[in-house]
Amino acid sequence: MQSIISSQKLTKEFQSYKKEPGFLGTLKSFVSRESIRKKAVDEFSFNIEEGEIIGLLGPNGAGKTTLMKMFTGIIVPSSGELSIMGHRPSDRDKQFRKNIALVMGQKSQLWWDIPAMDSFLLLQRFYEVSDADFEERIEEMSTLLGVKELLNVHVRKLSLGERMKMELMASLLHNPKVIFLDEPTIGLDLVAQENIRQFILDFHRKNNTTIIITSHYMADVNALCERLVLIFDGKKAFDGPISEFEKILGSEKNVSFTFDSSQDTAAEIWNDRDADWNENKTVVELRIPEESLREVSLEILKYLPVTEFNTEKMPIERVMKTLMENPEILRNCEGSGENMLCR
Amino acid sequence: MSLNLLKWWQTIKVSWVKYTAYRLNFFLQIVGPVLVFFFIKYNLWSAIYGENPEQMIQGYNLKSMVTYHIWSMIVTMIGQGHASYNMSEDIRMGRISSYLIYPFNFWEFHTASFLSFQFLQLFISGVTIAILVAFNFVELPSTYFLFHGVLYTLFISLFWFTLQYMAGLLSFWLEETWILRVLMGIVTGFLSGYLFPLDLYPDWLVSLLQYTPFPYLTYYPIKIFMGQPSPLWIGYAMIGLWIIIGATINHLIWKKGIKLYTAAGM
Repeated sequence: MQSIISSQKLTKEFQSYKKEPGFLGTLKSFVSRESIRKKAVDEFSFNIEEGEIIGLLGPNGAGKTTLMKMFTGIIVPSSGELSIMGHRPSDRDKQFRKNIALVMGQKSQLWWDIPAMDSFLLLQRFYEVSDADFEERIEEMSTLLGVKELLNVHVRKLSLGERMKMELMASLLHNPKVIFLDEPTIGLDLVAQENIRQFILDFHRKNNTTIIITSHYMADVNALCERLVLIFDGKKAFDGPISEFEKILGSEKNVSFTFDSSQDTAAEIWNDRDADWNENKTVVELRIPEESLREVSLEILKYLPVTEFNTEKMPIERVMKTLMENPEILRNCEGSGENMLCR
Repeated sequence: MSLNLLKWWQTIKVSWVKYTAYRLNFFLQIVGPVLVFFFIKYNLWSAIYGENPEQMIQGYNLKSMVTYHIWSMIVTMIGQGHASYNMSEDIRMGRISSYLIYPFNFWEFHTASFLSFQFLQLFISGVTIAILVAFNFVELPSTYFLFHGVLYTLFISLFWFTLQYMAGLLSFWLEETWILRVLMGIVTGFLSGYLFPLDLYPDWLVSLLQYTPFPYLTYYPIKIFMGQPSPLWIGYAMIGLWIIIGATINHLIWKKGIKLYTAAGM
């Protein structure tokens, strides 16, 4: 079966001009301009099957949004192939546009001066949704998201969280086959984030929609995605299941223990475990190989005055942070799993 | 109704809601042009004619000069009221991205909002002229000329819309387009007969202008409203031709520009 999204060596190059600051700089730039070419996305290839939820990760400026813009047909790639549901997005034919949705957390797509319901009614016409479907979906989504009372309030009077929920509703009204979510939970409080994640999961379960999501919140990725694609400097750096991603830096588990009194940090048990103590010597963080996790933990719990015991909740957060701080890890990744693309 | 017409109709309705969202603003839109007219144009011409309102300046006495400028105001309200300066901002700030995703084209959306605005503007102009007629500042022409005046002016508004759309599209290349718009406004203000009746200009200039769209934008429709017949079809044909030329150019500009679009800030 053909993948629902497939991209081959997709590249986008931007050209911009250098300009020195100030008035003189402006005059100079009239005479001679130095142009800078930058590849925002560089030979990016991947395939996505129907119904997958993909987390697209990378630091700011890595090219995530540029990719999303190419996927939705907003900008035209400089070179390479891209096919989504058999369409080339940059052709922007109506059949393609009818079957995708884009949610931008940073940007409102709803009209500011009118109630969300008015926007929804307009979108209903744009996407040719029948009245019955429309009413059913509005009813269902607004109940799930808890915004039923707010449908007729002017959008500019909504809080960020409420507006984001409306944005989500607006982009899902036409039951798209592929959804692009660009930082959908940015700036939201924890409860709203949680609501939105749950809602996306429900929607996915019911409709088997293909979803690509970018986010800087690892909690989003952890809750929603099974597969991660990492992009660094416009190039794909990792593509594979989350479980593989967690092991990029090795398969050790991070575990922390809290004790009711100061401990002897020189004891043998801490050797070779990357022990990281707090000042009072009452809390320690250890890295323990997966296979000896049980044995080592048992020993500590048995012989030392442990009051608290934690294993790491989101290893991907640590991996992500380490990679962003030391991108050279990705360059020297010989011998790692098949998902790694070393440069 | 076909599905596509429904899209147009709903866009017109939503735009209408947007335009009338602020009541004070709506009210000012009605009162504004009349106030400007009285404070500036009426006073100016009264001063020029001075003690002797019956004297003729190139065939106009004070009353007919005032009539000319009242219709000039109405023509401007209907023909040039719509300002699409939001569009260039939208392109520059990357706000047109959402319109590129909807299965309803960008130009369709803008044209529908324009039509919606024109309904509103027609209503406002109607109220304005009714007030001026009621206070005896101006007389209505015969139904025939009134009908053609309104129809023709709507035609002009389509021409202006095409031109403004073009200025907006240039934002794909230019950082700022307001200077273009200001220049356009000043030049047409002079050459179209908005500031002074064209009868005040030298003959050679007037006959030269015949070949440009300018006189057909203000002078010509004013004459229709004043019930002074000139062959109607020339105006319709001229403006129609320019609309077709403008729309074709816009289509080409759009096709080139959209390839350059970077959706900055999205």
